[in-house]
Amino acid sequence: MNITKKLAWPLLLISPLAIASSLNNEDFDLDALMGMDVQATSAMKRAQSAFDTASSIYVLSKEQITKSGAMSVPEALQLVPGLIVRKLDNNQWAITARGVASRYSSKLLVMIDGQSLYSPQFAAVYWEALNVPLYDIERIEVIRGQGGLLWGSNANNGVINIITKHSLDTRNGYADFSLGNQIKHDANIRYGGDIGNKGSYRIYAHLNDGKASKDGTIYRDEIITPVDTAEQYAFGFKTDFTPNNEWDVLLQGDITYSKLGQNLRAAIDETNTNLAFSENFDRTDTRLMARVDNRISNTANQMLQLSWLKQSGTELYLKEDFESIDIDYQMNFIYSSVQLDWGLNYRYNAVNSEEGIVFTSDKDIHFLEQYGGLFQMQYSVVPDSVDLIVGTKLEHNDLTGWQNQPSARLTYKPVANHLAWGAVSRSVRIPMLLEYDYNFKVSGIELSRLLGESTGIPQLDNYRIETFLNGNDEVDSETYVSYELGYRFSDNYWSIDLSLYKTEGENVVAYTSNFEDQSAQFLPALALLQANQFELAGLALTTTKLELDVVSAAEATTSGGDFVLAWQAAKNLKMELGYSYTDLTYDLPLGTTPAIGYNSTNRQLFAKADYSLFTNHTVLATIRIENSNAYNTNNYAALDITWNWLVDSHWSVGLTGKNLFAGSHLEFNNVSETYTIPNYIDETFVLTISANF
Amino acid sequence: MRTFFFSILIIPLLSYSSGSFANEKEYKLKAGFLYNFARFGHWETSLESNEYFELCSTSSDFVKVASKTLQGRNVHNLPILIRHISLEKEMLASCKMLFITEDTATDAQNNELILLKNIMLVGEADTFIENGGQIRFFLTGGKIRFEIYPQRLSDAGITMSSKVLRLARIVENVE
Repeated sequence: MNITKKLAWPLLLISPLAIASSLNNEDFDLDALMGMDVQATSAMKRAQSAFDTASSIYVLSKEQITKSGAMSVPEALQLVPGLIVRKLDNNQWAITARGVASRYSSKLLVMIDGQSLYSPQFAAVYWEALNVPLYDIERIEVIRGQGGLLWGSNANNGVINIITKHSLDTRNGYADFSLGNQIKHDANIRYGGDIGNKGSYRIYAHLNDGKASKDGTIYRDEIITPVDTAEQYAFGFKTDFTPNNEWDVLLQGDITYSKLGQNLRAAIDETNTNLAFSENFDRTDTRLMARVDNRISNTANQMLQLSWLKQSGTELYLKEDFESIDIDYQMNFIYSSVQLDWGLNYRYNAVNSEEGIVFTSDKDIHFLEQYGGLFQMQYSVVPDSVDLIVGTKLEHNDLTGWQNQPSARLTYKPVANHLAWGAVSRSVRIPMLLEYDYNFKVSGIELSRLLGESTGIPQLDNYRIETFLNGNDEVDSETYVSYELGYRFSDNYWSIDLSLYKTEGENVVAYTSNFEDQSAQFLPALALLQANQFELAGLALTTTKLELDVVSAAEATTSGGDFVLAWQAAKNLKMELGYSYTDLTYDLPLGTTPAIGYNSTNRQLFAKADYSLFTNHTVLATIRIENSNAYNTNNYAALDITWNWLVDSHWSVGLTGKNLFAGSHLEFNNVSETYTIPNYIDETFVLTISANF
Repeated sequence: MRTFFFSILIIPLLSYSSGSFANEKEYKLKAGFLYNFARFGHWETSLESNEYFELCSTSSDFVKVASKTLQGRNVHNLPILIRHISLEKEMLASCKMLFITEDTATDAQNNELILLKNIMLVGEADTFIENGGQIRFFLTGGKIRFEIYPQRLSDAGITMSSKVLRLARIVENVE
């Protein structure tokens, strides 16, 4: 092995792009061989190498996840340049790409082994209750932008697919134990083995007891003490059966119970004003998935997947109960120089959330169905050089009917290590029930603000009129047309990945803030006011109610780019540098305000270093510089650094410092979008001991 | 709907049109695995007297792919030589490793493979281990995995390193 080749091997681990399609010298390593796909076609995952993919993709490897000391999926996602990962408190997160992140509706499709975690009520991913054992993740694929044709709707800003290890590769014991300044203890255990000589399994459990943040926050001039504790118990399993080379059967499930603390504010009494309070809320999140894969030949396969998801949450004033069943069928095959993928999908959603003070439902929608199909064709226009990929996803949903999501992508590979790509695609976001049906009580609008003048009586001026965010069944699906251009280069020492995009959104939801047609109800109170009957005027006001209607009226344009440079700086040092830019501009009709995000410019500068100190010692460090006016926060720069020591083949020790040098800072402060009152985020230190047995 | 019918029609075709490219990739990867089995295997009778490390196969397709893939490689300080053979005693004599592909497996069943000494027997047919094999490749989740019958390996005078064994599914007591 010459020096160049020696250096090239580690690059495979750092480069988010390199997955070789033919064997290079470095691929003769057994572990590398175990990771390679035989099949030229695949359902629920990419069939081609990341390098050849015609969308902005980043593959987070298991090695990076291990070295980073990440304790949760969101923490692992902080390793991905171009992803916006902001913390609300010790439990809650706002995550997206190419847009403005929110705890709700981040327009991001998140999947575990192809099982979607999407809930149609609030379009939220409950990151705080998502338990995926990090030590058993094979890789996390992140697509920035709408590259999710094969998967589903609501993937306007991106797709995150968490791919877990095959149970055949985890047939041993694993345990870890962590403690730190924000963690009382966090423990994981997994055990795996064979089932006869055709199957394998693993079972795992997770226990987490998290402390509250150190610094609270200030809400309406009041200091709020942090209560963001966590108590979680999770249990799960995965089994794989391979009766022969043609069939694969997979069954996996997870149940996670969480008791989490949060500060929140809601208008819960007759003052109609937001009051801050603290609570512990319970969540039980369960998922089960079965998949049968059939390999018809080397170049054809089909699969059937059944998924069940149940999410129950009990908060003081909000009781959520959501259940979904997905049935997906996909077939992928190559016929001469054409690769074809087609599939059918059906989703059944049951929403049994209870109405209460916080929200009521007009239509009592308890069931929602979604069904459709997809078709995609990849054609080599010029073999080994120009590929054209066209396809569409046609899907029917109960709220807005049939939706069409076509896309066309082109790749041009003049030589093996250069690739240029372009794409035009259309995606939709189906309204969530909050937008379509629910009436959500929000902080009331003051009378003086509504009148535009003072009544002269302070008590009346400051009176807040009961105000609701009013879901509207006229609301349409948001549609996004995206234009993307990208370029990639990869070499033994460095790789670059550049993409530029412009996405034009139509029918984007906004709220009407025009109350003229609701003014008649105030006439009695105003008449009493003029007659100096102040008390009676006040009484009359209590019967009034304002509605902020959700309307599909806005246009939104996002444009920007993502750039990632990976560099093998020395034999034992890999570096990554990323820069992402997103500009979001709303075009709103008069009298409306945007629902999620507002005109903003977001910049992220990202640096990562992966350094092998000496044998069995590694240091992984990332610096994230977040510069944005979309979150009502100051800009911040945070350093995360982890030192890992592989003591022997059984034991390892890790020490992690996160958010270093960032000081106490807020990462998300769009309180109008969420009930949670975010905390100041502080430095955390964690010590982890892990064992393989 | 047209798509649906088109695909239904094309399924029977697919089983026959398995592209040579994908086959080539599978053989390439399997050649890589065999190279590792050779590296991490220990032959009790010394290999030193040999001029080559002979990797034999009953499949000429595999021999073509493996010759290219493993070109210029050494194991146990011997250059690898890949030979296409038929299952005859004289031809097998100098082989250190024998790979029997699925499409050539029927020929092998009539042979008393189990009696061969100093040859690592690797196959891919479902019944390969039952028929006397030591290591069998199988596919799961679109990836190559393998099972090993260590007792039969040691009966043939070969031991396998734990680095390989820990990745394998271990087979015991096959009659």
